[in-house]
Order: sequence, then C-alpha cells, then structure tokens
Amino acid sequence: MEARPVLLLHPPHQEGPEAPAAPIFPRLWRGSRPHHLQPPSAAPSVYHTPFKFLPPSDPRRQAQLSSLLRGSTGLAPTAAPTNSTTPTEREIPALGENHQVPVPKFNVTREQVAEMRALRAADPTKWSVVRLAEKFECSKLFVMICCKASAEHQARERERKEAIKARWGPIRSQAREDRKKRRTLLLRGEL
Amino acid sequence: MKRLRLDRVASQLLAATTSPAARLSRPSSISRSIPQTCRHASLYNTQPCQRRHQSTAASQAPLEEELFLEPQDGEPTPETLRGGPLPSPHPSRAASSAKLAALHARLSLSSKIPVETLARALVDPSADAHPKYNNANLAYVGSTVLHYYASESLIARYPRLPMSILFTAMKGYAGNPALHQVARAWGVESAAAPGEEVDPGLLQFDPMKPTVVMNKWGYVRAETIESQKFKSGKGLSGRVVYGSNPFGESSAAKALPNFEVDDGRNTKTMLLQNAPANAHANFVRAVIGAVHMHCGRDASKNFVKSHFLSRTLDLSNLFEFELPTRELARLCARENFEAPVARLESETGRLSRTPVFVVGIYSGRDKLGEAPGPDLDSARVAASINALKAWYLYSPGQVSVPSDTFAEDAAPWKPAYVDIGEIIS
Repeated sequence: MEARPVLLLHPPHQEGPEAPAAPIFPRLWRGSRPHHLQPPSAAPSVYHTPFKFLPPSDPRRQAQLSSLLRGSTGLAPTAAPTNSTTPTEREIPALGENHQVPVPKFNVTREQVAEMRALRAADPTKWSVVRLAEKFECSKLFVMICCKASAEHQARERERKEAIKARWGPIRSQAREDRKKRRTLLLRGEL
Repeated sequence: MKRLRLDRVASQLLAATTSPAARLSRPSSISRSIPQTCRHASLYNTQPCQRRHQSTAASQAPLEEELFLEPQDGEPTPETLRGGPLPSPHPSRAASSAKLAALHARLSLSSKIPVETLARALVDPSADAHPKYNNANLAYVGSTVLHYYASESLIARYPRLPMSILFTAMKGYAGNPALHQVARAWGVESAAAPGEEVDPGLLQFDPMKPTVVMNKWGYVRAETIESQKFKSGKGLSGRVVYGSNPFGESSAAKALPNFEVDDGRNTKTMLLQNAPANAHANFVRAVIGAVHMHCGRDASKNFVKSHFLSRTLDLSNLFEFELPTRELARLCARENFEAPVARLESETGRLSRTPVFVVGIYSGRDKLGEAPGPDLDSARVAASINALKAWYLYSPGQVSVPSDTFAEDAAPWKPAYVDIGEIIS
C-alpha cells in the first residue's frame, strides 16, 4: 500500500532551518534583586481621590497639606525620596497654541435682540445663525436661544439634510452609525 | 410616649409551629398577614385581596389574632382532619432531613436556629399559602435587615454617590439577582414541584401560583397609583418620592390589588417575571430573618456583612454620563474651584492610523483626571468622566456606621460626612 502524500516543509534528508537564537535582553538587575527601571504604564484608578476633591473633614487632606507646605517652602524632608509628584513640584503641560477660554461678553442689548429676530424672521436663508452671530459678535448658541426659525424654514432645512443623507453610500452611513455607537460607549466608560 | 419594644417586634415568628392542626382548620385560601408585602396575582388567583380584608374590619381583627395563636393541646390530630395531602412537608420531618442538616452546617448557623425554621425558610408562599408555614414573614424581617445594613454601609462608605447609582448599587447588593446568586452559591436546590412528600431541604415554590414579592419599603403613597396610571413620576425625583422599594422602583404599585385581575390589560403587569429568582431571594432573606430573630442583632449584622456586603461590586462601572465636560465645569463652579482645563500630557502617532493622546484635566495646578483616547476630543471627554468618577466615588475609608452605636460600650456617634448632592448640569 502506498503511503499517502504528506506535506513536508523540509524533506527528511535535508536539515531544517536553525531555531532562532534566544533574544539577548539587557541586564536589568544587579545581584539577585531586580530593579524596576520604570513603573508599568497604567491608567490611574478613579478610586484615588485627587487632593482638591477631598472634603475638609478628611484626614488625608491635612496629611497632604503639610507635605505641600513643606515642598513649597523649600524645607524638603531629608530622608524621604524627592521624586514626589505633588502638584507644586510637577511640571504642568502647557496649553495649546490656540487655547482660549471663552469669556461671555454680554454685549447684545435688548434692541439688538429685537433686530436679530426681525432679520431672522424676514429672510432666514440669508440671515443664518452663523451670519447673525458674526454680525452681533455673540455665540451661535445665543442666537439660537433668541431666535426661532419659522416652521417652513425648518422643514426646508430638514429636507435638504435628508437629501444629502440619501446620497450617502453604505460605507459613509455605516461610519456614521459606528461613530454614534463609539460615542455611547465612551460616555458609558466602556471605550 | 410609650417606649417601643423593638425586641418584641415580630416575636411571633419565634413561635414553634410543629402542629399543622391550625392550618388544617383554616381554609387554604388565607391571605398573608404582612401588610407591607404584596401578593402578585397570577392566573390562578382565587384568593381575596388584602384591600378587601382591610375594609372589613370586623373580620380582620380575629384573623390577625388567630394567625399567631399557639396550637392547643387536645386538638384533633392532623390525620383525622386531613382531607388531602399537605401543601408542604410536615415540620416534624425537618429533623430527619440530611439536606437540611447539611445546609445548616454549611452556613455555620448557630445551634439556636432550629432546623424547623430553616425548613420553613425553604417554603415559598406559592408552595404553601398559610403564613405560619411559609417564609413570607421571615423574609420580610430579613429584607428590612438586609436593606438597612446595605444602605447604611453604602452611604457611609461612598457619601457622594448619585441617587441613581445608589439605587443600582442597592440592587447589586440586595436585589433579587444577587440574592439568587447567593442562594445558588449556598447550594440550595429546588424541588421539581412542591408537596408533602418532597425533602424538606429542597426549596419549594410553584411558578404558577401567587407568591409574595418583597419590594415594599415603608409604605406606598396613595398618589403612587395615580402616578402609575398617568405615567408620571418616572424621573429620578419621582423614583425617590414614589419608589416603593429600596431600588427606586415602584413595581409594587403595579401589583396593588385594586386592579381587576381579570382585566386583560393589567394582568400582564401583575405577573411575576422571574419566579425562581424571587423564590431563591426570598429564601435568602428568610435565613437572614431567622438569624436576626433567633441570634440577635449582632449576629444578623455579621451574617449580612460576611455573606452580602463582602461581595465585590465595581461601582465605577455603573456610571453613564450625558455631558461630562459641562457637568465637571458645573462641579468646579459649585465648589469654587478654578474652571477645569484640558491639557495634553503626551501623544504618539498623531499622523498615524492609531494615534494615542493622553489628556489631563486640571483645575488650577491640581490634576483632576486623566485618560487616553484615540482622538483629542474623546480623550478630553474620557478624562472628564474620570474626574467626575473620582469626585463621586470619594470614600472616607473605613468609617463607623450608625448601627455601630447599638453596641453596649459604643463610642458616641460622630456624624458621618455626606455630600450635599449630585451635580445638576
């Protein structure tokens, strides 16, 4: 009886490739005890309450306050290691270049609000929310709080958006669905 | 004002019920005696409802008295009175049940708790409607004990939990699913069908018969039924005000017996969803009640602590936010902190397919939270969520709870820190 053909990667009369050599790790320990060069990266636990969130009655607040004061006055403890990560010692990452804190200006007067409403009611296509916000130097949210477009304008806008959505192919529709799902997962803390 | 004798409350549960003569002399369709529990009507509801009993005051008073009467000597023996088989095993068979003895030993119960009580704890009201032979009374005592210790431990340990998380956590520690798990872990098996001949060490219930649901908490407000009818009170404040159980649900109101049972619209809401889980949970509550009644307050507290409060429940997984960045900003404004600012701690692969950004939220020079994310906005939102969780999950550590002062040589009570309330954004 003939033997069944077997898929042989290396014919038996030939030598297979050599086994890969064991990787050479840099020696991280001296003597018998290993030295941890850096701590493993891990997300901070939400059960570690930040100093600012401790209520005044909490004893941890007093304990950390004294160390904070020591650090700020330069009276560093001699025995303790100096790699403490108290907020006063740690570098705080810089803000982005275009970072700006929105400051409410409260510059729109009552008459201007009436004018804004009149413009929006007269021609909602020309006087869109964006243009009104530019004209009166306020936020778009403020414009939307002040004015309400007519029902036919809202219906027109809805139709326009649905026409755009109808042109989307399956890939784009799926991508937008996935984005919604990711947002839900993010707000649940599951992402 | 007359002093309340708390130790005598529910003392009728300690009465030995070894003779079924009393139950045989009574009709089998007797209603239960606990006003705080609620009978779920089901397809076979042939029994008068509680409200009907309360309206006829003349028949109510002797009924209540007779329920707790000791069986007298010289009464006819069960055999002479017996018209048919008993609905549940005779209590005298409890001493000879190996399963009961094993369960008693496995739970390390005190010898003060007789096996007859344990056998009674295994009889669901759906198996035996007589309140002296089922576990409804014990389960009610047990549920109040369990809810008290669970709620005080949660509030003392996590004084800033939002109300919805607190309700969910209560359900996680003392709800039906958790107690079902505990009963399964205790090794309790259920009988295929209840009856006189089954082993008393098996849990006996009938999914097709009316039973008792332990979900009442204090009393049910009269407006609850109206709010159920008009679908109001569904928000969180409604759950706090109208919620009739410790989990903020008002499912009990649905089952109030003033609905017509044969009305097809209401029957569905009055059916019990998960009868095995309810029966197992009622057994567990009844064991707590038995420990409380026979061994006292300290023993029941230890029992609850070791079997229920020691279970792990990760509270940080229960949260879901809608606008975390705005909520954090409102929190900082409320507490007079500097406005929160997101800063980029580190990043890698910004132009690659899978970038990682690590964003920290700072208030002044203090970091409130930190999270990685695949894009800048996700990382900022995740970091805000972590900061809010760090606020809500603040714990003062091992603090004393109010029930610690029940001890004889207890130190005077020091008020615990409880937060003013959740953030409204």
